[in-house]
Amino acid sequence: MLRIRNLKCFYGRIKAVKGVSLSVNSGEIVCLIGANGSGKTTLLSSVCGLLPDWTGEIEFMDKSLKGLDPPSVVRAGISLVPEGRMVFAPLSVLDNLKLGAYTMYKKKAGDAVAEDLESVTSLFPILRERFDQPAGTLSGGEQQMLAIGRALMARPGLLLLDEPSMGLAPMIVEKIMEVLETLRSKGLTIVLVEQNALTALEAADRGYVFETGTIVLQGSSEELLADKDVKRAYLGKDYGDFYDAV
Amino acid sequence: MMRSDPLFTLEPEEKHQLQLERLQSTLNRACRHVPFHANRLGVLGLEPADIAALADLQRLPFMQRADFSQHYPYDLFAVPLRDIVRIHTAPGTTRNPTVSGYTPQDLEHWRQILARAMKAAGTAPADILQIALNPGLANWGRDYKDGAESMGASVIPNTQLSVEKHLMVLRDYKTNVLITTPATAGHIADCMAEASMGPASLSLHTLILCGEYSDSDFRKDLEERMHVRTWQHYGLSEVPGPAVAFECGSHNGLHINEDHFLAEVVDPETGAVLPEASEGELVLTTLTTRAFPLIRFKTGDRASLMKESCGCGSTLVRMQWNSRRTDDIMNIDGVNVHGSQVIFHLQNMLRISTDSLTFRVINREGKKMLEVFIRMNQEIFSDEIKELEKLLRRCEDRLRENLGVPVLIRLVESGTPS
Repeated sequence: MLRIRNLKCFYGRIKAVKGVSLSVNSGEIVCLIGANGSGKTTLLSSVCGLLPDWTGEIEFMDKSLKGLDPPSVVRAGISLVPEGRMVFAPLSVLDNLKLGAYTMYKKKAGDAVAEDLESVTSLFPILRERFDQPAGTLSGGEQQMLAIGRALMARPGLLLLDEPSMGLAPMIVEKIMEVLETLRSKGLTIVLVEQNALTALEAADRGYVFETGTIVLQGSSEELLADKDVKRAYLGKDYGDFYDAV
Repeated sequence: MMRSDPLFTLEPEEKHQLQLERLQSTLNRACRHVPFHANRLGVLGLEPADIAALADLQRLPFMQRADFSQHYPYDLFAVPLRDIVRIHTAPGTTRNPTVSGYTPQDLEHWRQILARAMKAAGTAPADILQIALNPGLANWGRDYKDGAESMGASVIPNTQLSVEKHLMVLRDYKTNVLITTPATAGHIADCMAEASMGPASLSLHTLILCGEYSDSDFRKDLEERMHVRTWQHYGLSEVPGPAVAFECGSHNGLHINEDHFLAEVVDPETGAVLPEASEGELVLTTLTTRAFPLIRFKTGDRASLMKESCGCGSTLVRMQWNSRRTDDIMNIDGVNVHGSQVIFHLQNMLRISTDSLTFRVINREGKKMLEVFIRMNQEIFSDEIKELEKLLRRCEDRLRENLGVPVLIRLVESGTPS
């Protein structure tokens, strides 16, 4: 569904992603794990059209995403749940959700929006209770739910989530991961970017391990969970600390 | 065949993506953790990111067997030693043997590879499987055992038995699947004939041949004499293991496990990659190996690749294996023996010049062995026959221990033409 080859991303003269290839098949949950600054978020930004300065190939449903601006990427069927939620704090929860359906209104699919509101609120009942409340007054977990709900309102085929567990209590994280599993069972394809490798791998089918802008390992979640390198990366320790002099 | 294994029937485009992803991360890991690999790329002004397509692999230099010995013991390992759970030694090209390591994940991959290859040969969990390999292929014996156990078969592990005893086990334990080298299989068939034991007295239905190439006439003969179907496996005895490629039910070439290995065929002289179907030297790159990655390893084996899809439905590329080699390696019952090593050990013990040594592979009573002729000189000469014999036995022992094959040394008069 998503196929990336030799992606290189630049911030001016700085190369943040240095030739990455990865693929996501329809109906999969794939996680990208790695330390802070290893290029995971940059990759998502490139896919979403937020960072236009990239080379290589990004194909979604066999069509190149080169040169597409964020609205076109959303229309193509990719929604992003950004790092730090980024809800529109002064606006009400309902308005936040409706803004997520911006492209749907453009398509004059107002009825579909009502349906989607229904399904999002059945997924996160708490959002219905908070419909009229400004999004900024929600707790961190509720804001994360809102951010996911808002992304779903565009009816994506592929959902990208950037650090959804950040700053949340373990119980809330668990709840969010459960929701992702539910969404997948309904046919959604999901890419999960996480520093919290354990959480991500437990939720995902497969994973890619990032290190300073490159992929150093990939495999099924079971394989990666058992991997000592991943454990080291997860602990954030330097490889050298562990190396036995021989 | 094996429709349940999705990698068997990957579309070419998907397979290409999978291989590219794995190749790139292999290169990233290798260059990050193994100075040998980083330096080789560095000298050419390359970095892993320059390998943007499978075809770019040609830009990288080859690895040779000599590299293993030069970086003895651990310098080619791409993970810290504490991550290694098995260390394997095989004869090298010089004094230093080849040492390879395996992480738990590597061993798990080998179990999967072996189980896949054995399933392709019709082996089922209900089968009793016997392994008969010589000591030089001890690591293959372990890999076959692990693979067969993981698929639920009953395994009679590799034990050093005489052919007669192997035959007894075959008959009494009602073995269904035998894994051995062509030479040993031939020897067993001969023993059956000598003992007037008909194939009906065995429960054997599958014979998996590994270690060396066997031609179709030889296999047909075995199939008729033992009432079995034969299947060929291709592997490397040093690294990484036994079933890099295997036969499917179509018996038309050997499928390469392309999710784990990338195969190229090159001109042995120039190193240029040859087009499909041309015969040349097989070059392998590992795609999933963690501990001991190989990048463009020249195997010395001659083969050609067949890319069109197979009658079995698999899209895994097939290789046609040729008996000849591109180097001076002798294959003795599946074990690779380097001529340079024979010379090294004997020169070390006897201080003789290279030209007073000749050697060849012989078949003695159905058993392949290394025969070495040493031309007599002043240094070796002793007027006591006992002393001379002692010296020769010591030399034989040393060669046997280091090469892992049976050895016979003969003295010839000086001046005898080689």
